[in-house]
Amino acid sequence: MSNTTDKTFGILAEFKNPGHLMKAAKMTHKAGYKKFDCYSPFPIHGMDDAMGLKPSKLGYIVLGHALIGFLGGMALQIWTSAIAYPINISGKPFINLPAFIPVTFELTILLSAFGAVFGMFFLNNMPKHHNPLFNSERFKKVTDDGFFVIIESEDPLYNPEKTKAFFEQAGAVHIESIAH
Amino acid sequence: MHQAKLIDSLTYPETAKTHKILFGIALIAGLISLAGLFTDTKQFFFSYLTSFVFIASIGLGCLFFVMIHYITRSEYGVTLRRIPETYSSNMLYVGLLFIPILFGMQYLYPWTDQALLAKDQLIADKTPYLNTTFFIIRNVIYFGIWSFLGYRLYTNATNLDKTGDLSLDAAQRKVSAPGLFIFGFTTAFASFDWMMSLDPAWFSTMFGVYLFAMSFQVFFAVTILTVLYLRSKQLLTNTITNAHMRDISLLFFGFTVFYAYIAFGQYFLIYYANFPKSILWYYNRFDGGYDTMAWLLLFGKFVVPFILMLPAKAKTNMKIVGSMSVLIIALHFVEIYWIVMPTLHKGTAVFHWLDITLLISLSAVFLGLFFSKFRSNNMVSNNDPRLQASLSKH
Repeated sequence: MSNTTDKTFGILAEFKNPGHLMKAAKMTHKAGYKKFDCYSPFPIHGMDDAMGLKPSKLGYIVLGHALIGFLGGMALQIWTSAIAYPINISGKPFINLPAFIPVTFELTILLSAFGAVFGMFFLNNMPKHHNPLFNSERFKKVTDDGFFVIIESEDPLYNPEKTKAFFEQAGAVHIESIAH
Repeated sequence: MHQAKLIDSLTYPETAKTHKILFGIALIAGLISLAGLFTDTKQFFFSYLTSFVFIASIGLGCLFFVMIHYITRSEYGVTLRRIPETYSSNMLYVGLLFIPILFGMQYLYPWTDQALLAKDQLIADKTPYLNTTFFIIRNVIYFGIWSFLGYRLYTNATNLDKTGDLSLDAAQRKVSAPGLFIFGFTTAFASFDWMMSLDPAWFSTMFGVYLFAMSFQVFFAVTILTVLYLRSKQLLTNTITNAHMRDISLLFFGFTVFYAYIAFGQYFLIYYANFPKSILWYYNRFDGGYDTMAWLLLFGKFVVPFILMLPAKAKTNMKIVGSMSVLIIALHFVEIYWIVMPTLHKGTAVFHWLDITLLISLSAVFLGLFFSKFRSNNMVSNNDPRLQASLSKH
């Protein structure tokens, strides 16, 4: 295989166990790599901190949707029952806020849930039909007993030799280039 | 992987006189209140009931948390479970504090008035349930059950501390499972008896859940403030960490929403149906000063805590969570006042000094009992099988 930089997706390194993976993640983060990711068969507590991940932006997406749901629900009911077609219901005011709460509440929840699910899809670049990592035979172990770190070639610090050397130093048991 | 170790001292300082000071305050405030018993008997019993429900609901919230914690074999709260455990172990004393109410029944509950029963057929029809004998029997049953549950869970836990016998941990679940089932019924009926029957013509099927929602919300506030008090004394600072406080604050936030849902649900159904018999209860509570309290409850018990505690970071910010806890505890009292007092002072809210002296007296008894027990045993269950997992939380 003759890999040139623009054809390579990145360099994949395998580690022995979650502890080594955690250490490698810390080292990769400290070395200044930005476009890297860790893969393990199960969630590892403290991995977010080790990788230096920032808190997810999902909360703001959900909040935005919630506010749209809240204001939209209120506006819909005020417009229909007080402006477009006012109906006198047992002498209650046309803009009857307590009566508007259930619909407003439900719309707030519904849009928040949409925001959470689809916002998660968006932030995770989903749906994604193919990932170059599947080109690696060894990567199949990730659902069983494989612990991997990949540094993508798009990373500004990426350099095939130096990155490989870095992984060797980090204690990888196997290193390979992943083609696109 | 990192394994946290128990490094804090688990005993409350012997020299601390917290409970003695509290009992002293309780005695002084109680003696002052006694003067009110002779000058304004009716007011005394209404104020007493308000403060009594205030402390009893905190005890009940704690009891529920302890049982749910055991039955789900939870790890998150093992390091701080001894606090609600100790509060709820005192339900027997709370039951003893209920006795004065039995002597004030003719002042509190209109259904004890024979002249009214002769006039009002609707209330007369309720006498098979609402009569003095059955009321006393029911309350003996409630406090018998709660005292037993609180005491058994507490002694099992402290015995586990001393012996390390893990069969006691299984015993806790055997107590908690039926305990939770009975707790639901007893709390609901107690809420009907204590507060709903103040206005015997009125009823709400939500009322039991309403008292429960209030109790469970205030339980979190009380526990958080107790932990912050211990922290201010440099106790358990490495055992009850921010990871535990984050979970408790998260639940506090969640049950603030639950409370709002239940409280609004009850109001909404009655408001929308607008039946004269049921709407009057709320009508009296949106009139003459009580309306200000109602708005205060809406904003102070839901809107403000909801907005301030919504960000993830706020849940580890003890300044925010602590101040919200103070707010919720204060408004929990206001809410009970708002439920109870319009029966006595219809039309205009009248503040009476007995409201404050009895609140201080009963709360000081409740806290004094807590601290006297808290110092006699470990502050954390050191032999709990899930303690290690709880300590390693981050």
